[in-house]
Amino acid sequence: MMNKLTQFLTTAMLALAGAAVHAAPDQALIQRGEYLARAGDCIACHSAPGKPAFAGGLAIDSGHGIIYSTNITPDKQHGIGAYTEKQFADAVRKGVKADGTHLYPAMPYTSYAKVSDADIKALYAFFQSGVKASAFDAPASKMRFPFNLRFGMGFWNYFFADAKPFAAQAGWSDKVKQGAYLVEGLGHCSSCHTPRGFAMNEKASNSGQPAFLAGGELNDWPVPSLRGMPRWSEAQIVDYLQTGRNHGSAVAGEMTAVVEHSTSHLREDDLQSIAAYLKALPPAPARSPAVKPQGSQETARKLTAAVNLTLGERLYLDNCVACHFVNGKGASRVFPELDGATVINADNPTALISVMLHGARTPSTDKAPSILVMPGFARRLSDAEVATLATFLRQGWSNSAASVSEREVAKVRK
Amino acid sequence: MSNITNDEVDVVIVGLGWAGSIMAIELAQAGLKVRALERGPDRPPEDFAYPKPADQYAYAIKNKVFATPRDAALTVRYNDSETALPTRKWGAFAPGTGVGGSGLHWTGVLIRPTTTDIKLKTYADHAYKRGSLDPDLRIKDFPFTWDEIEPFFDKFDKICGLSGNTGNLKGIIQPGGDPFEGPRSSPYPLPALHDTYNSSLFAETAKKMGYHPFPNPSANVSQAWTNPYGAQLAPCNYCGYCSKYPCLNYSKASPQTAILDVVKRMPNFSMRVNANVIRVDLHADKKTARGVTYIDENKNEVFQPAKIVILSSFQFANVRLMMLSGIGQIYNPLTETGTIGRNYAFLSNGDATLFFKDKHFNPFATAGATGEMFNDISPGNFEDGIKLGFIGGAKIHSSQATGAPIGTALPKGTPGWGKGWKEGMVDWYGRSMKIGITTTCMSYRGHHLDLDPNYKDPWGQPLLRMTFDWRQNELKLQRYLRDIVLGIAKELGPDSISENFLSLDSHWDITKYVSTHNVGGAIMGDSPRDSALNRYLQSWDVHNVFVPGGNAFPQNFQANPTATIGAITLFAAEAIKNQYLKNPGPLVQV
Amino acid sequence: MATAAAVPIASIPLVRQAHADGLEGMSLNQYQPVFFSAPEWQFILAACDRLIPAEGRGPGALETNVPVFIDQQLHNGLGDDVYMDGPHPENPAPTLGFQGTLTPQQSYRAGIKLAQQHAQKKFGKSFEQLAAADKDAMLTALQKNEISFAELGEPALKASSFFGQLLGDAKNGYLADPMYGGNKDMKAWVAIGFPGARAAFTEWVDMHNVKYPLGPVSVSGKRA
Repeated sequence: MMNKLTQFLTTAMLALAGAAVHAAPDQALIQRGEYLARAGDCIACHSAPGKPAFAGGLAIDSGHGIIYSTNITPDKQHGIGAYTEKQFADAVRKGVKADGTHLYPAMPYTSYAKVSDADIKALYAFFQSGVKASAFDAPASKMRFPFNLRFGMGFWNYFFADAKPFAAQAGWSDKVKQGAYLVEGLGHCSSCHTPRGFAMNEKASNSGQPAFLAGGELNDWPVPSLRGMPRWSEAQIVDYLQTGRNHGSAVAGEMTAVVEHSTSHLREDDLQSIAAYLKALPPAPARSPAVKPQGSQETARKLTAAVNLTLGERLYLDNCVACHFVNGKGASRVFPELDGATVINADNPTALISVMLHGARTPSTDKAPSILVMPGFARRLSDAEVATLATFLRQGWSNSAASVSEREVAKVRK
Repeated sequence: MSNITNDEVDVVIVGLGWAGSIMAIELAQAGLKVRALERGPDRPPEDFAYPKPADQYAYAIKNKVFATPRDAALTVRYNDSETALPTRKWGAFAPGTGVGGSGLHWTGVLIRPTTTDIKLKTYADHAYKRGSLDPDLRIKDFPFTWDEIEPFFDKFDKICGLSGNTGNLKGIIQPGGDPFEGPRSSPYPLPALHDTYNSSLFAETAKKMGYHPFPNPSANVSQAWTNPYGAQLAPCNYCGYCSKYPCLNYSKASPQTAILDVVKRMPNFSMRVNANVIRVDLHADKKTARGVTYIDENKNEVFQPAKIVILSSFQFANVRLMMLSGIGQIYNPLTETGTIGRNYAFLSNGDATLFFKDKHFNPFATAGATGEMFNDISPGNFEDGIKLGFIGGAKIHSSQATGAPIGTALPKGTPGWGKGWKEGMVDWYGRSMKIGITTTCMSYRGHHLDLDPNYKDPWGQPLLRMTFDWRQNELKLQRYLRDIVLGIAKELGPDSISENFLSLDSHWDITKYVSTHNVGGAIMGDSPRDSALNRYLQSWDVHNVFVPGGNAFPQNFQANPTATIGAITLFAAEAIKNQYLKNPGPLVQV
Repeated sequence: MATAAAVPIASIPLVRQAHADGLEGMSLNQYQPVFFSAPEWQFILAACDRLIPAEGRGPGALETNVPVFIDQQLHNGLGDDVYMDGPHPENPAPTLGFQGTLTPQQSYRAGIKLAQQHAQKKFGKSFEQLAAADKDAMLTALQKNEISFAELGEPALKASSFFGQLLGDAKNGYLADPMYGGNKDMKAWVAIGFPGARAAFTEWVDMHNVKYPLGPVSVSGKRA
């Protein structure tokens, strides 16, 4: 269970005694490194369930074979205990191991290229002296030909990797600059939130490029654009990153783990910087849905009266209204808003269908410990019913998006 | 089956219901190593995700989240000359089990006693002529003042997101609330739940007749709420599956919604479920405990060493555990020596059901605490009791705690089966409302708990024996209240009324559900001569044992007990943190 | 004839609702009892048919598969939460609750056997062969404990206890969620106007004295 994993990992990471391999480690530096590792969410890939923290072994399906994350504990044989700081920096920022082999860009070195020398130093101190060494031998990656030829990564890097260090744009405030540094670099938000090209490369690597963080798709899920975040205030962005929930939204899918393991551990001022930065980015040109100004009232009225209902309305009353209410507004920080929701209005309905079938749960975080569970309705609703209900959601209140077909639901249910 | 010894902890908590959860979080946040042992299973919220709890048969008929009589029965007799018989099926009361205890599925009425209620003995001595009340009455004052306890009521109100209308804010009476309530330091955290049709009819009429109705104070919250621990509650949607059901909407304040997600994050907190504590183990001098022994799910006997022991299982389970462990002396009603088991009390209820063939009450659209009540008939608020020779009072209310159809009330004369019954259901489901009473219950010399000599539980330990019956005091009170209720009922002009009140010759009928507000047995007081615990719920006899629960009440008031249990537990937790840890020993000197 | 039943929703294409699986979709004449023997089953069908008959407003017990519910409950451990240890004194005060020595399963087996014995003795027929009025009379006699099971050889069971168990289980089966095998297609809920497991009435709590228009939904999501 997520809670136990977090607890376990936290305890493991705090095991400082006996883990020091270098003389006189500076506690403050190690703690800074620990914090930066949270920002970089190293734990998400470099820890596998049931294995020691940072000992690797997580299987990542790349679409071209399985990549296994490596052991980055200070074990000298199986981990990175023998790495110098320069070797560590090259692995993190250039994707090159100490023995010269290339890492696959599942390791987001294209983002980490922006990490400063000072932060590399702190991260190095943490991974050498703040993490318990583990002799776990992470399995070798199994990529299909020709992707198993690692030297090919050299060519890929030449064309697609931007190795330039972080550069602030003119006119940015210190706050926005700090936010940009975190987002472009350790945050590696771009890995999911920037659209990718034919070679699986991110189409943009820094804030100057209009495709940066402009949204895309991940495992068929629509990933929203982060540029400008027109629907949320800075405080609402901070709330979401801190707790996985805010006035109108709750986290679902891959982002749940990101909140749980990474962003909920960041300091308030860093999160405010991230929020300020995202708001400062010029928004991506988005399809403006035809807003139905009377739509919200009309739907609420029809659902309240509960007569002459369409099947979609009836399904809503039988399954959803308990939490999301007749006005589709839910309740702040507990039940997400459906009226106007990005995930409901997205062209690609996969995320919506997925949540309807499988449910979602908020992570337990320091600032919001409550685990709030939305049940899945896979057993309760047929594909046709999910399609009808999803269509109702996408066209009810002020929402405006295309209908969902039974076939689309069946595809997600598999 | 082997003997195991766990690692030592600072605090072991026996029973992870409301009292146990409050102790767990307060003491864990103070940095102590805390372990909770719970006899029943874990009850994570996803087990109760919508719409699973919307199932009357499982939860309200088969008592899915309750303890079973097979595991937790007691024996009952009316007086000391009889042989007690087991509660083979639950009837008048039904205790909970599992993480959350009854806090998982309670109705959610969160109401304080009055300032008179907590000093009832003082009131009685002052208001009643000597000898005018039952000579066996053994009522006592609670050993704290209103000013001392109020901040803890306030804290628990906020932990639960109490929803209602403030009646008395710092001494100033506020419109819409209970004018008889003791002064509050803060207003209610959230607005009142909405009234159902029955409550609004009742309130309107009661007001016209000169009473002071107000919405039932509710721990089913009216709006999204974040409590002082950072836990979140969601707005109640009046789903109709509340009393006896786990909440499907995060709306009912429970250990799960209000506390457990927070305390489970703390590395110094741990818990074991399916762990039945059979004994508190004392040191040889019997002045302190060294830990507790439990049977785990693999039938191992496990010793849990601890520096402090909190007994926070249900009221009578706490008392039984003290008896089985030799903490204090078991009460003897003839000699009135011993303190463990004395001052057991319960409560009585009654109602009139009003049938209206043309009204739609929609009983399924309701929260647990939905309803309106008045406290005009409460000790200190009315004089008739003094004239008529009884002490006590009752909440008089019209509530609609649940609306599911099994057990629907039908008008007098409706056949119990056949075409008449079936058509009765079609004609009368949703066509009735109740006006009910929930009374005080005094404590008496002869009403007590001890260990049964004949019957045992599945772990081979004697069942708790309960000696209790109605006394004339409570029965006279019932007849008095009946007149008031029928008066209001008639004003409403129903097509028919059926009634259910005790008579002056009624014995306690344990086959009909009353309430699980059993109190007393290990009461708090000023003196070890006649109480088991001091004002901090600390055992007079074994100073590192604290016993929070309804067991601490010296008699029962008409207010539901949970608010007071929350307050006295918070009060005790403060004392442990601020006084006991620095200087372990008896906290009250006599 | 106007009842409290909800207005049927004509616009919903019923083809969209998948046929209920398991117990919820069972048809009575295809059901194979797992607890009751074939003769016992005949008694149960006939008794339920009189306890909640077809005639009159509202569905009967057979139309709603009440016997399926009872059979399933007995098969699945009904009564295993009861404290059964002795001693069992004679003549316990009724207000001190159930003090019997038989489990529900034992009560049904014995009760059906003895009821049939009585029917044979008095009418020369088994219960299910009696005319409706005679069935009703016999059920009433059981209810009032006018038939002595002790005289028929079973002192541990009172006829009124057996009747009470059977009637209680029948009513539970009639009104419970259909996942337990009774209340087929939620017909009992439709007849009385109970919305089932919808469990969401935020706006309805304020609609005082307004008839609720929507039919029920079951825990499994089936609509009526």
